[in-house]
Amino acid sequence: MNGIVAYMKRDFLKWGRGRVAVVSSLVMPAAWLVFVGLALPVQFTGNYLDFIVPGILVMTMLTAGLSGGALLMFDKILGFLNKFLALPAPRSSILIGKILFITGRGLVQATIILVIALLIGASLLDPVQYGITYLVLFLFGVLISGFATTIALYLEDHDSYAAFNTMISMPLFFTSSALMPYSVMPPWLRTIAHLNPLSYAIDAVREVTAGGFPAGAILLLLVLDAAFLAICLRVFRKVTI
Amino acid sequence: MNAIETEGLTRYYGDLCAVDNLNLSVDNEIFALLGPNGSGKTTTVLMLTTLLAPTKGRASVCGYDVRREGEKVRRALSYVPQDMAVDIKLTGRENVRFFADLYGVPHAADRVDEALAVMELTDRADDLIRTYSGGMRRRLELAQALVHEPSVLFLDEPTIGLDVAARKRIWEHIRSLRRKGMTVFVTTHYMDEADQFCDRVGIISQGRIAALGTPAELKTRLMKDVITARVEGPFTPPELEGTAFVGRNGDEVSFTAANGRLALPLLADALKNNGCVVRSMALREPTLDDVFLQAVGRQEEPQGFAFDKFRIMLRRRK
Repeated sequence: MNGIVAYMKRDFLKWGRGRVAVVSSLVMPAAWLVFVGLALPVQFTGNYLDFIVPGILVMTMLTAGLSGGALLMFDKILGFLNKFLALPAPRSSILIGKILFITGRGLVQATIILVIALLIGASLLDPVQYGITYLVLFLFGVLISGFATTIALYLEDHDSYAAFNTMISMPLFFTSSALMPYSVMPPWLRTIAHLNPLSYAIDAVREVTAGGFPAGAILLLLVLDAAFLAICLRVFRKVTI
Repeated sequence: MNAIETEGLTRYYGDLCAVDNLNLSVDNEIFALLGPNGSGKTTTVLMLTTLLAPTKGRASVCGYDVRREGEKVRRALSYVPQDMAVDIKLTGRENVRFFADLYGVPHAADRVDEALAVMELTDRADDLIRTYSGGMRRRLELAQALVHEPSVLFLDEPTIGLDVAARKRIWEHIRSLRRKGMTVFVTTHYMDEADQFCDRVGIISQGRIAALGTPAELKTRLMKDVITARVEGPFTPPELEGTAFVGRNGDEVSFTAANGRLALPLLADALKNNGCVVRSMALREPTLDDVFLQAVGRQEEPQGFAFDKFRIMLRRRK
């Protein structure tokens, strides 16, 4: 447990000192909110901003998770990992600490996006709804960062990982339910959107904002998290010994 | 119980035998593993620090088996790898505190101050590492390694890439740790440093120990004066009583002689008779370099380099 906290503390300190990275990671989701959320003329809802906010929050977690995938790989390339592996702290805490940091960083960014959304006119929810929203975002963040970290460890090379990241982030976003409801999608997109894990998180947040409790989606995300963490630990063990 | 003990320690990377049946015991001393690049130094250290599983044989650190009691082994040792890895966006104090937390050191703040003071970094403790010189970064890594007061310290090429003054300072620190009772295991390929600062050296070549002993012992084992000559033209080692051919490094050939002063003119004649041109000759006391040259042979990368095997080895090591 101490190990996990120490590894997270290191990453948060480092992140907080890179001001450019902190600000630039917020530009894209904020731009989506303003330029698409406020400007797009849509027919299916009166408040498109409220519709798009869950999608942008999940996108923020996605971008944070995918960009964080490279962190552990860099620790390995730069020789930090070898030092950490020779420490008595459980080796799995290196991985868990990293995933929790990436997820935590995503939640901080999502909070800022949420504040911007409120400032430009999104509806305010009650505290319980925000609590459940954060739970969903957290579970989704763990899923994405576990997945991204595994892929990066497996690829072992920054260029390949950057290419992979570019390849999947936009298609994942556009084939989810972030921008439009299933009812207005063409049928082929609807099928893909139903399979896209981003949609599970987005739909769950929408259900929360509508006053419901997305038990099914939370359960599904929990199962996926457990599965991915197990795979990730396996890959991590394999590449470290 | 010795601090480090290995018995038939062996590691293969595919078909390539990186460490071959290594038997070592090291205790309460500065022990240097010397060897050319790719001779198995780092592989040995990785096995002893539980970062790599041995293929065969056993090894223990402070009585704990590296295979079965990994966590206890890691609790007893500190390892500073060859490539410097300190977080440049953190301060010196934060870097050391991070390790103190990972080791679960009690009274962490005091211990961090102490470790920084030992490494003479107190004045700069709150500056970002970005502003540190190479020598300071290496000292900071030592401070990180010392914060939990390990019994055994593993240093992989501790002075690589540092200037002369910084090297000397690192070695002085290592010596003072040894005086406090720590066992220090270093790998290096700087012979002069091993000669000057280490209690015992093992020369490793192609995964096997080729010579083992104190620097003085190893040098007296050669026992003779060393004659070096720069030659041109075809070279065949002359058969001359009282001299022995040691090795060749570029255009420099070296011999040992029971009595250097007498052998010098004889050797010059013999070389000339063998048909090579002697550009210069020198007579000197043996150094660890000579021991190394004799133990390891030609100090060049082996011919017919097996690139495929090397690639397999690199891939597994990552």
